Amino acid sequence: MEIVEIIKVVVAGIICWLNFVLIDTYFGLPEKPGVLGAKTIGEKIRDIGGNIHGGYFMGNIVCSPDASAGTLLASIMSYLMGVEGGIIAALLVWIGNRLCADPGYAGTIGALTITAIIYLLSPIIEAKYFIAGMVLAIFTIQGFEHKYASILLGKIAKKMNRGE
Amino acid sequence: MDIVEIIIGVIALLMAIRIFLTRSRARKLLYLCCLSFCISALIALYVDSPMGGIVAITYFVCSTLSSNAIAYTIEQAKDIE
Repeated sequence: MEIVEIIKVVVAGIICWLNFVLIDTYFGLPEKPGVLGAKTIGEKIRDIGGNIHGGYFMGNIVCSPDASAGTLLASIMSYLMGVEGGIIAALLVWIGNRLCADPGYAGTIGALTITAIIYLLSPIIEAKYFIAGMVLAIFTIQGFEHKYASILLGKIAKKMNRGE
Repeated sequence: MDIVEIIIGVIALLMAIRIFLTRSRARKLLYLCCLSFCISALIALYVDSPMGGIVAITYFVCSTLSSNAIAYTIEQAKDIE
């Protein structure tokens, strides 16, 4: 049984990863640092040999609740309350975005799309696995190897015409 | 203990160790962000009620706000130096 659960976590992680990376890139996180702090982090990533646009992406995630935070918080609330919870999470993420001086489209839309995905997949993968999946997804970007993560994010940004 | 909680807990411990081992202050913030994700997920899984979800969201948004402030201060300190 443990193997099945681990496979569910990994599949949920891949879905979360695609959800937040694609939405964040679409809304232009790699293009420019939204706040001054994100610029520092982007330049630090460039200094260790990474991609500056990938660095801005990672800096923006740290400095404001974007689609990554929306994905995590919407899966938490979907696990605890169902679909209504996902919508409440989207509202709270939007408030958090406004506090951080961010337009707030990426976080809200990320929360709403993951709520829809969890609702559609609920017979196969429960919301609980999406929480662990999202932690796994953010670990591959922010916690594993900054240099290669930023190069990968930079390549995705280039492919979607965001940055350079 | 659930397999989901074990996975999140192991990642949280790993991040805590890496925060201590990293020299650069800006890169510490990246690991700290990942740690906040883990803590917020664990709060929701342990408390397991709608109020727990609200607490997890409040914790996460506040931790992002303080990371924002710290990163801004690092940039300002660089100018002074």
